[in-house]
Amino acid sequence: MEPNPVPASFNIPIGPQHPALKEPGHFQFTVDGEIVTRAYVRLGYAHRGIEKAAEERNWIQDLYLLERVCGICSHIHAFSYCLAVEQLANVQAPPRAQAIRVLVAELERIHSHFLWMGVSAHEAGFDTLFMYSWRDRERVMDMLESLTGNRVNYSANILGGVKFDVDAAQAASIRLGLDFLEDRAHHYLNVLSKDAMFLQRTRGIGVMTRAQAEVMGAVGPTARASNVPRDLRVIAPYAAYPQFPVHMVLDTRGDLQARFEVRIQELFESIRVIRLILDSMPESELSVSMPRRIPAGEAVVRLEAPRGEVLYFVKSNGTDKPARLKVRTPTICNLNSVVRLVIGHQLADVPMILAGIDPCFSCNDRMVQVSRVGQGDPQDMSWAELRNYGINYYRRLSK
Amino acid sequence: MEKIGTMFSDVSSSLFRRPATEFYPLERREAPPQLRGLLHLDLKSCTGCGLCAMDCPANAIRVTMLDRKAKRFVMDYHIDRCAFCGQCTRSCRQGALSMSSDEWELAQLDKAPFLVHFGDPRDVEQLLAATPPGGNEPAKHD
Amino acid sequence: MNAFLTVLRLLLFPGGLFLLVVGLFYQWFARKLLALLQNRIGPRWFQPFADTLKLLAKEEIVPDGVNPYLFIGLPVVALAGTLTAALYVPIAGLAPSYGFPGDLIVVLYLLSLLTLCTGLAGANTLDRFSLIGATRTLTQLFAYEAPFLLAMLGPAVMAGSWQIGAITEYARSHWLILTQPLGFIVAVVGLMGKLEMPPFDAPEAHTEIVAGALTEYSGRGLGLFNLGRAVELVVGLTLVSAVYLGGFASPLSFLAKSGAILFVLVGIQALLTRLRIDQTVGLWWRYGTLVVLAQWFVMIVVWR
Repeated sequence: MEPNPVPASFNIPIGPQHPALKEPGHFQFTVDGEIVTRAYVRLGYAHRGIEKAAEERNWIQDLYLLERVCGICSHIHAFSYCLAVEQLANVQAPPRAQAIRVLVAELERIHSHFLWMGVSAHEAGFDTLFMYSWRDRERVMDMLESLTGNRVNYSANILGGVKFDVDAAQAASIRLGLDFLEDRAHHYLNVLSKDAMFLQRTRGIGVMTRAQAEVMGAVGPTARASNVPRDLRVIAPYAAYPQFPVHMVLDTRGDLQARFEVRIQELFESIRVIRLILDSMPESELSVSMPRRIPAGEAVVRLEAPRGEVLYFVKSNGTDKPARLKVRTPTICNLNSVVRLVIGHQLADVPMILAGIDPCFSCNDRMVQVSRVGQGDPQDMSWAELRNYGINYYRRLSK
Repeated sequence: MEKIGTMFSDVSSSLFRRPATEFYPLERREAPPQLRGLLHLDLKSCTGCGLCAMDCPANAIRVTMLDRKAKRFVMDYHIDRCAFCGQCTRSCRQGALSMSSDEWELAQLDKAPFLVHFGDPRDVEQLLAATPPGGNEPAKHD
Repeated sequence: MNAFLTVLRLLLFPGGLFLLVVGLFYQWFARKLLALLQNRIGPRWFQPFADTLKLLAKEEIVPDGVNPYLFIGLPVVALAGTLTAALYVPIAGLAPSYGFPGDLIVVLYLLSLLTLCTGLAGANTLDRFSLIGATRTLTQLFAYEAPFLLAMLGPAVMAGSWQIGAITEYARSHWLILTQPLGFIVAVVGLMGKLEMPPFDAPEAHTEIVAGALTEYSGRGLGLFNLGRAVELVVGLTLVSAVYLGGFASPLSFLAKSGAILFVLVGIQALLTRLRIDQTVGLWWRYGTLVVLAQWFVMIVVWR
């Protein structure tokens, strides 16, 4: 990603406000007629300073702060944070709590994939699939609401366990909902793999070979659609996944159609795992107590979010507030592939390729300090200097 | 085998079915009992320990102790800051806090109703008299 | 008195105001039907009217770098073109107000005037999205125009006249949908291309190029373009249903037949994905032309 795009023949700016983007991000595509020749991406529009804010709140408050990094994968963020902090405190959440965490995580995966399917269909101009898949998504959101208390930001986790239990009545209603969703998922798999017009928009578009995926560091379903066997629930199982194993869904084609089908197959896998958990939920208490001051240390956990691998680094210095918290979300790994893959495609394929990686811009806006090799120290600004810089910048712009 | 119009079954059956849209506010669906709605405090169980205020991620709760021995305190609750996460109900050791499952339509036309005082009415009056007008501290963390 | 009546007919019924109202009503019908097909409730009946009134009342922002006369004038020309085209088609089941031999071609080109004005409006600005939208609009015009024209001329050959009035008279006794089914299919799909309805809405693909050629338009200009689209909808539907579905015996038959074709159009819209512009052109130049030429071949062989 070059810092300054050369003002070449014809630059199309997409974002930060554009109907193709659900969240702000800036892309510039240099087109020649309808073919894209260069691409440039710039992020940072959804940066909220969460990592810094986490250092000023205690461990319990941070749980809820980190849940709000992203709306679609909020539970995974809280889940990762809890696992990391429990690792630091050398505490194991009880088995029933881990199972319930995995249950909610898989329900969230179902919700995320239905959402993504609708959004991608909308980018392709297939509004009917958009409306129907979001109507069916309401079912899983109602399930989550009656289970956890809210449709998004479930607040299911507490440090050391979960907040609520799954009783028989709720298990029965979850099973009913799963039957409905599985039926609909079969229908959508049929639509996505057989509809001739939709296939014209997805087959052979955005092909990423396995070698390319591994070099560009793609994660999640985007990588699995290119036959990269990388699914943290399988290769590095955490929480209750050793007891309820997941089968990896791979596809060798590497194009957009493969990414669609991988995600639908993952839906079936999630439904199967949830049924397994409901059938054989371990009996135990729901949480263990955690100290208010977490012992000093560093912990790294990696979890499989609906979009790919999410990585949490938590460092404690023995107080009741974290010393440093670092969140690395999957979209930032996959965006590089978008920038490379669009070259040579038509402009109409660009929103589809972008939607194919399931971008979540609010997840991935973190601050990175880059020091240029051979140019001395990185530019450090104090808060007052940064504020002055911003004021002068906009003063110059408005002249 | 590729087909055209694979969503035909959905589309044609929708003509004879009721739309999936909820006709809120004309028809209001019942919220599930686990819904995290408006916060309520049971004054009899509350000891004024302030753990809820310490753990609130949105700084929505403030406990002002007027007289510790006589258990006179006032809890200020900012509805507009509350994130409805439910941590306060867990932090409370006495189980004095609970979240309603049918009070979730909380929009107001004015900011004033968003600040709720829980406490004995005389204590609340005393606290309001002591606070300078308009002097509510912003949601900042120390 | 005659002149006064003429002016009344031009401005109120069946021209002018009636056309605008019916056009907006048909737009509502299309949106409502699409919503019902997608299992949701759609807009209420006054939505397109409210939108138009709001647009006409808002400020029109003329962007930098455009030719202001073209910018302001093109929407007016577009609307005028479609309103004029309505004079020659049997609106509301009444005989066309005016007619002359060859007015079929004139009507089709007046309808294309709207597309040309849209393309020119898009090319007039410096905005990237408008330029791409204009290119796509004009490309699509070249794509569907030939097959659509041939599909409309087939009935003209059968009727032995190029005047719409004569064609509809002929069509009243011979239901051309039965004798020229392939031509009917091409005409209906061609109408979708002309109206830029999905799946042929690549020129205004809002997830790719915001609003296509009309991205920079706001206020009155956008309102007039939308009105032009609404009138184009009515005129296009009238033309296709009059020619292929056996003419109009009464205003009720007009509503029913054009409504039926609109139903088919919206049904196709609900079922299909948007096509890329190169796929649209490929589809039209490969299959559209072949199908209509096959229809002509059959017609000539059978007729002779």
